Formats: sequence, C-alpha cells, structure tokens
Amino acid sequence: MPYDTKTNIAGEIPNSVQEKIGLIFQGLNRDLLEQRDGLALTLRTRTRQASSSSHENGNARDVKFRRLCFPGRGVEDAWRFTVVLRMLELVHEALSTGKTLSKRDIYYRDPALFGSQTHVDRYIDDIAFTFDVPRSALNVTAVAKGLILGAVTFCRRDGSNANAAVDREGVLVPPLSELLSVSMKAVKWVLVIEKEASFRSLASSNFWDRLSTEGVLLTGKGYPDIATRALLRFLSEPSPQNGFASPPVYGLVDFDPDGLAILATYKHGSFALAHENSSLQVPQLKWLGLRSEHILMESDDPHASQGLMMLTPRDRGKARKMLERSVPGSISGALEADSEEWRGALQVMLMLNVKAELQLLDAQSGGVSELLESYLAMQSRYTASLTRNLHVDSP
Amino acid sequence: MPTLFGPYTSFSKQYLQTHAIPDAHPTDIFALAVTPSQVLSASGSSNIRIYSTKGQIIHADTPEDEHPYPLVQTLEKVHPLGCHHICTSLDGRTAASAGFGGELNIWTCSEEGSWTLKGTITPEPKKAGEHWALALSENGQYLACTTHDGRINVYDTSTISSEGKAEKITQYETKGSLGMSVDLSSNGSMTASGHQNGSIYIFNNTTSRMAHSLSGLIKPVRSVRFSPACRYLAAAGDARIIALYDTQSGEQIANLTGHASWIMSVDWNWSGEYLLSGGYDGKAKIWSVERRECVATQTESEKCLWTVKWLPKAASARNETFVTAGAGKGLAFYREASGT
Repeated sequence: MPYDTKTNIAGEIPNSVQEKIGLIFQGLNRDLLEQRDGLALTLRTRTRQASSSSHENGNARDVKFRRLCFPGRGVEDAWRFTVVLRMLELVHEALSTGKTLSKRDIYYRDPALFGSQTHVDRYIDDIAFTFDVPRSALNVTAVAKGLILGAVTFCRRDGSNANAAVDREGVLVPPLSELLSVSMKAVKWVLVIEKEASFRSLASSNFWDRLSTEGVLLTGKGYPDIATRALLRFLSEPSPQNGFASPPVYGLVDFDPDGLAILATYKHGSFALAHENSSLQVPQLKWLGLRSEHILMESDDPHASQGLMMLTPRDRGKARKMLERSVPGSISGALEADSEEWRGALQVMLMLNVKAELQLLDAQSGGVSELLESYLAMQSRYTASLTRNLHVDSP
Repeated sequence: MPTLFGPYTSFSKQYLQTHAIPDAHPTDIFALAVTPSQVLSASGSSNIRIYSTKGQIIHADTPEDEHPYPLVQTLEKVHPLGCHHICTSLDGRTAASAGFGGELNIWTCSEEGSWTLKGTITPEPKKAGEHWALALSENGQYLACTTHDGRINVYDTSTISSEGKAEKITQYETKGSLGMSVDLSSNGSMTASGHQNGSIYIFNNTTSRMAHSLSGLIKPVRSVRFSPACRYLAAAGDARIIALYDTQSGEQIANLTGHASWIMSVDWNWSGEYLLSGGYDGKAKIWSVERRECVATQTESEKCLWTVKWLPKAASARNETFVTAGAGKGLAFYREASGT
C-alpha cells in the first residue's frame, strides 16, 4: 500500500473520515513527488453473494481487498481509480463544508465520468465500508416521490395537523383527498425543484436558514406525479381552502430537453393534452433556471466545465420532437407566449449542443441560493417601486 | 514601425456602429449570409429576411442615409421550426438554409435581387434533422452539409428534384462527432469541417480524400473558414482561440488569443488581412492576420453573437463594414472609422 491509513506524517492517529481522506491524498501526492511508478488505492469491499468471480474470493469469506491502480492495466483500471478518487474528493468537500450530498447528487456532479447511478451506489458503500463508518458519516444520503418543505401547515380531514417545516428533510407530499385546508399565511413564494438532490442541498443551506419562514420548496423528483402537481396547484391557486393565497411560483430545472419538459409538465401538463389537464395546471410558474446565461463560458474552473455535457443523439431527437409539438399556431392563445420562450430555449440548446445539470450551480460560488435570492430581491424591488409610484405625492 | 528599443505601439483600429436594425427577428438570429448586395438573416422564427446593402453611403464623414439597409424581402414561413444555418455562394446567386426540422432549402436570386425557392432536400423520415452546418461552392452548384454523426454530404444542387432529392456526389466520413461547422474553399479544391469533439479536417475535393486531420483545439469547433486565397484555414470555438492552419502543409501557424468566452463565428475580410470573430459573451473582435493580434474589440451587449460577417468590399468602398447578430435579435452594422 503506497499510503498508510493508520498514521499521518506527524504520527497521530486520524480520527475523522475527513482526515483519513486527507491522508490518502497526501500519500498520493508523495508518490507523485517521488515519481513512483503508478498510483494505487485499496478498497475494502463486501463480498457479494452469487458473485460472478466466486472462485477468486473463495478464501476471503467476508471481506476482500481490492487494489485500484493508475494508470493500471487498461482503460477500466484507470476509470475505476478516477471514479473512487473523484468520489473521495466530493465526500471530502461535503464533510469540510458541512453539506449533505445524496447519491444522486454525486452522480450528477460528474455524470460523464460515473456513467451510471449504480456505479456511484456501489462505490460509495465500498468507501464507507473501507473507512468502517456508516454511509451517513460521509454526509451522503440515499434517495427516497414528491417532497415539500416550508412554512405551510396542512389540516387533514381526520382533524390532525401537519407542519411541513418541522423536518429539514421535507415531508412526503400528502394526497389531496386527505386534506381539508392548508394554512400558508406566511408564504411569499413557492419554488419547484426538478431534483431531490438540489432540493436537499438547498434545504441544508444558509439560504434556507434565512428564508424558511417565508418560502416553500417542492420537488417531484423528476417528472412529477399527479399528487405533486395537484398539491402545487392547490397551494398556488386562490381558493377558500388555502386562504385565497396566490404566491408566485418559480421553477428550477436542468438545462436539457427533459428539464424543459418537466417544467412544461408542471405548467401545462403535456402540450398535447393541455385542455384535459386544466385542474392540474400552474400556468403562472416562472422559469428561474437553469438558463443558457447561467452557464459560465468564461470560467476556467474545471468544476464548472465538468458540469457541461454535450447533447446525446437522444437529447437532440427529443428537443426536435418538442419543437415539432409546439409549432406556433398549433397551440391555443394563452400558451403561445410561453411556448415561444420554450422554443427559443430548445433552439439555443441545439445550437450550443450543450446541456447542464442543476448541480452545476453547486460548483459555482453562491450556487442556487444566490440565484434565487437575487431574483427574489429583484422582484421585491420591483414591487416596492410599484408601491412607491402609487404614493408619488407623499414626501 | 515600432523598433526593438522604442516604446511598444499597438496598432489599433476603430470601428463605429453605423446602423442597427433592432428586433429584426422575434427570436435569436442564428445565422447571416451575405451577397455583394444583400444580407440574409435566419433565426428561430420561420422567416428568412433579406436586407439590401446597395446604395449605402460609403464615407463615414458624410451624412447618414436614414435607411441604409432597407428590408427588401421576407421569405415567410419557410422553416416551420426555425432556421439554424444559412449560406450563400460567392457569386451571390444561390443560397441554402437549414431548418430545425431537418429540411434544406435551396434558393436562387434573380437579376433584380429577389429570391425564390429552387427546391427542398427533405430528410429521410428515419434520419430526420440530421443535417446541420452548410457551405456552398463559388457558383452555388455544390452544397456541403455536415451531419449529426460526423459525415459531410456534398450535393449537386442542379439535380434537385420536386420529390425533395438531390444527387449526393461525395460523402466524407469522420469519426462520428457532430459536424458543427463546414466551409468550401473559393477555388473549389478543398472542404473543411469542424466537429464537437475538437477535430478539424481538410478534404481534397479532387481526390475525395482526407488531406489533413488538424490537431490543436480539443473542444467543440464552432466555425471554420478558408482565407480568400485559400492559403489558410481559420478555426475557432469553445477553446476560445482562433487557430490558423496552412492548408497545404496542415501545420498550425498561429493561435490568436484574447476571447474570454466561446467563439461562435469567424470570418475573413475580402483581402485576407483581417479576421472578424464573435463570442458567446457578445464581444466582436477584429484581428490583424499579419500581426497576429487583436486590433479592435466591439461590445454592444453581453448577449451571444451567433454570427458575424464582413460585407463584401464594394468597388467604391474605402472603409470596410461588418455586421453582427445573435441573441439580441437585431442586426448591428459597423464601419472602420476614417483616418485610422
């Protein structure tokens, strides 16, 4: 083993996972400086039942060690090493900033490298096993449909109340049939987020500390189910049951064809079936991001550029079909303006041939919270100026 | 001339915006093409618009005409899903446009300067939308067209049929990465393509073989242009540099650095002395090819410039003019200030 996890240079025993990861990187650094041939990491992995290579681990019953080398014997070896190294880096970042990442988060920080979610799931468990800690000690959580968090209290038909602010992890979206009414006096805005991972990272940010009393976060985890859409409509459409509240609703989705399709699902259902979905629509939903202007082309920051990916042939095909479905004139008047913005975004996406995940914002300073806060500030300035103009004569 | 010991003097040029056409299109303008007397603009809307550049006042110090670039024709609803590329032949008689639905339209221009549809090349249903970037040969007979899977198809536009087909005379194969840009040399001997994965290729049109595979950019190549005398190829894109290659040897002879963001479009002036480039950050730059440096930068806004073009030099023109367009939805015309 090119590094020693037991002691660091000063001979102290590292006690936190963060320090252990630090040591691993120190070790690798040393190897590089001393120009040794190749780098290596050792992972302790659990034996899997019905393993395809059972003859190999026949003598190691419960635990086997797996050495990952770089450059290794082939592309596979180098990839494996890179994956584990990148994950260690992300875990270290999560631990040092005190943020919690979901497995899905990790995957989306570098989907091009990880290739699929299952790789991330496997290696994160192996990393936790290697350090002999539960996964939660790595500040990594699993992913559980529809979550809501914020200053709303649901009043159920059975007479009980549920406050959606009590648990920072959010509460599962309650079925509308169970609800009698909702109290949302304090709510100034509702933010719909495409992915649970971004929902969680926002919920654990300082931003939420400041604004949890006036906002609501909602995620449908990808394409939303009916319950999530119905709840969003219930919250945002004035009715006696919600105290005639009509807070502005903002949407935060990936910059890719699916992100825009998800946004359109919340807004209109599907364009094709818009007339049938009127009871689930939230047409006032505003597209906050991710927009092409949020993609920092100037940046030399590798994290920011890593978040950018090229469109796949599937993405291009999907974008083109979405364009076809929204040809001007094929949609009724009210949706026309919306579909224009939407078509523009799809065309720009095709021209740039680039997509970006919401997590791209996490890698930029300020991230999602800064974007949202500047937007909310802009809105309130606008409202204030309107109010001022109404009182132009007062000294 | 600066000497080795003298103070360094930077040769800069001054360009002034002489005219703007705001809201030329309701959406982003993705492409411009020029002829000796017109500018053609294509956008996310279904229309192509044509502006006359004839009869404009050439000297900056004389009073401006109120409408130096009047709209002379609108080709309405010709690309239902929007149009992403448009190009013209050097003689100004033929144009080609590509729509987001995958259709290619070929246009011919009358003596009076009015455009009519010559024909449409429709994609086979299964491969809908596979055409991307376009270039026409000098007399408009050949149309080079890149595809999503890295091929360059060359069509003979004189064979276009009413069923939406044209004879494909050559097909160049590359490694399967989206062809983002393409150009034909003015002498007709070479085709160049720039790809998503950073590859740049020069093909010999006589032998129909690849002449050079050019290295150096790694990132998506959004624009490739042959110099007017066909001696150089300029290539640029997300690497934020303009690379100049010798088209005979294939060697990279210069890197022009200075753009802080992605370069969306480059163009040579008529003499090959200057390059014009437009960036994602809305900056247009003029480069002296001899000095290998940027001699002027124009910033109108922070909105992406999808396309920048020099206007062809009119016989009486003393000062050159270029036009820019992009996410700002308008056209902006610039002319070199007198006395620089």
